[in-house]
Amino acid sequence: MKKFVYTLFIAFWASVGTLVLVNMLVPDAAEQAPQRVQEPTETARYSLSEVTKHATLEDCWMVIEGTVYDVSDYVPRHPAPPSVLEPWCGREATEGMRTKGEDSDHSARAWRMLERYRVGGLEPSRRD
Amino acid sequence: MGIFSIWSSAFVVSLATLIAIVSSHPEGLAGILDALGRATGIVGLLMLLLAAALSARVPGFDRWFGGLTRLWKTHHRLGAGSLVLLLLHPVLLSLAQAESGLDAAVQLLFPPLSDWPIWAGWAGLLLMMVFLAPSFSFFGHPDYRRWKLLHRLAGPAVIFALMHAWQYGRTLPANVDKWLWTVMAAMAVGAVAWRFVFSRRIGRLRYRVARVVAVANNLVELVLEPAGRRRLEYDAGQFVYMAPFDRELAAGHGEEHPYTLSSSPDEKNLRIAIKDLGDASRAIQTIRPGTRVTIEGPYGRFFPDREADGEHGKQLWIAGGIGITPFLGRARWISGRQRRCDVRLVYCVQDEARARFLEELNAISETLEGFQVIPHFFYRQGPLDAGFLVTHVPDLVEREAFVCGPPGLNTLAKRLLIGVGVGRKRIHTEEFELL
Repeated sequence: MKKFVYTLFIAFWASVGTLVLVNMLVPDAAEQAPQRVQEPTETARYSLSEVTKHATLEDCWMVIEGTVYDVSDYVPRHPAPPSVLEPWCGREATEGMRTKGEDSDHSARAWRMLERYRVGGLEPSRRD
Repeated sequence: MGIFSIWSSAFVVSLATLIAIVSSHPEGLAGILDALGRATGIVGLLMLLLAAALSARVPGFDRWFGGLTRLWKTHHRLGAGSLVLLLLHPVLLSLAQAESGLDAAVQLLFPPLSDWPIWAGWAGLLLMMVFLAPSFSFFGHPDYRRWKLLHRLAGPAVIFALMHAWQYGRTLPANVDKWLWTVMAAMAVGAVAWRFVFSRRIGRLRYRVARVVAVANNLVELVLEPAGRRRLEYDAGQFVYMAPFDRELAAGHGEEHPYTLSSSPDEKNLRIAIKDLGDASRAIQTIRPGTRVTIEGPYGRFFPDREADGEHGKQLWIAGGIGITPFLGRARWISGRQRRCDVRLVYCVQDEARARFLEELNAISETLEGFQVIPHFFYRQGPLDAGFLVTHVPDLVEREAFVCGPPGLNTLAKRLLIGVGVGRKRIHTEEFELL
């Protein structure tokens, strides 16, 4: 058992070291990564009624602090079960993001990750 | 029963985690890596907290776990499992992020400082590597004292790990998650509080060295008299943690070590036979009468509970070297009460000069009916074998067997006994190696 634990200990540092080193050696990776995500265009603006069309787990848009996000790809990897996210799909979801249904905000990392799923801004509501 | 419930709880939580993950339908390789990363985090933390809870060493509590030695083994296995899983946890989660780019994978491991829960996780994991390094001999055989000191880092490691889990634990349903970590954290903190606060105040009994009997040039038997109001109550063959308080000792001042009691519970004083096996036990060879010591215990469940009332079935005792001490205590106790017994004691030593306490044991066998001592000398008879056992103890298979000695002898004796037909459940072993 001692040998196994020691081997894993070395393997851990080898993996972390490799990840960091490769990331440093391949600067392109850092620059290209954000491009895979739907690039927000300055002009893209969606109304709340458009957002409501994307209200399923497979096609899930959310409005968070005035910005529209398409989080469909992220839903399966979110730490909370999909049932927690579903009610927030297709609507204003700032409260969910800020409180996690309780009273604790998402981490800074989560907020940074959210930016990858940004699709545009929210059109100001109009009085018809 | 205790050990079963420990592993069952680890199994139940693993199962619940698995169900929660499967029901979230992870997609693709990244999804699976992410799910495994979260699962290793949950089960790893659970094992860490269970190991912490077991470290309390409350006297009597260890009986549920088949004695402190077995409890330490479970603690050690839980620690190993926890370290393995928690090393995998960040690597798996990081690889899962690589789908969004290599920078995302590295960012998960090394986010900005403001992302404190990740750094709390790192602090916990790094502390684990430090305090578990000696336990798994990462850098050679550990020094007992350094190992004990480093192991105290387990406290802060657990706290950092809980801070991390509190922030990220959303895999299990929210209520289950909250309750699980609250209960486990309470158990772990309670155990650590007992160990470092209460056991020092109420768990340790005060004794004083009354006499030091030099049994051989590397073996002394200390006679300890009570120096406080409370006296230790124990069964013959149990062990205690003893710490001597004498600044003139070459090593081990105030340092606790486990020693087997060689006295009978009917005696007013305690007796502890200590062989020179390391720095502290070497220093104790020169301890002076009058020295203050503290005793914590009793621990161990070498002899089953039903033996406590003195009713003895047919037994075979196999002792190796200093492993004679629990049997010595037991023999002194039975002899003091002049109970009827049917015991064969096979005492394995290198040569006659090293057969400590043999004279006393022979004297007991002359006055105590049913008690017989069978010495076995390695230099003349080679390693213990089945032929020797069957010749000297023909009704071997009818006996309950108790083995205490160095790990090599314990393994050998167990193999021999199973080989001649003694059921596994009827073989009880006690090991001195706690690491």
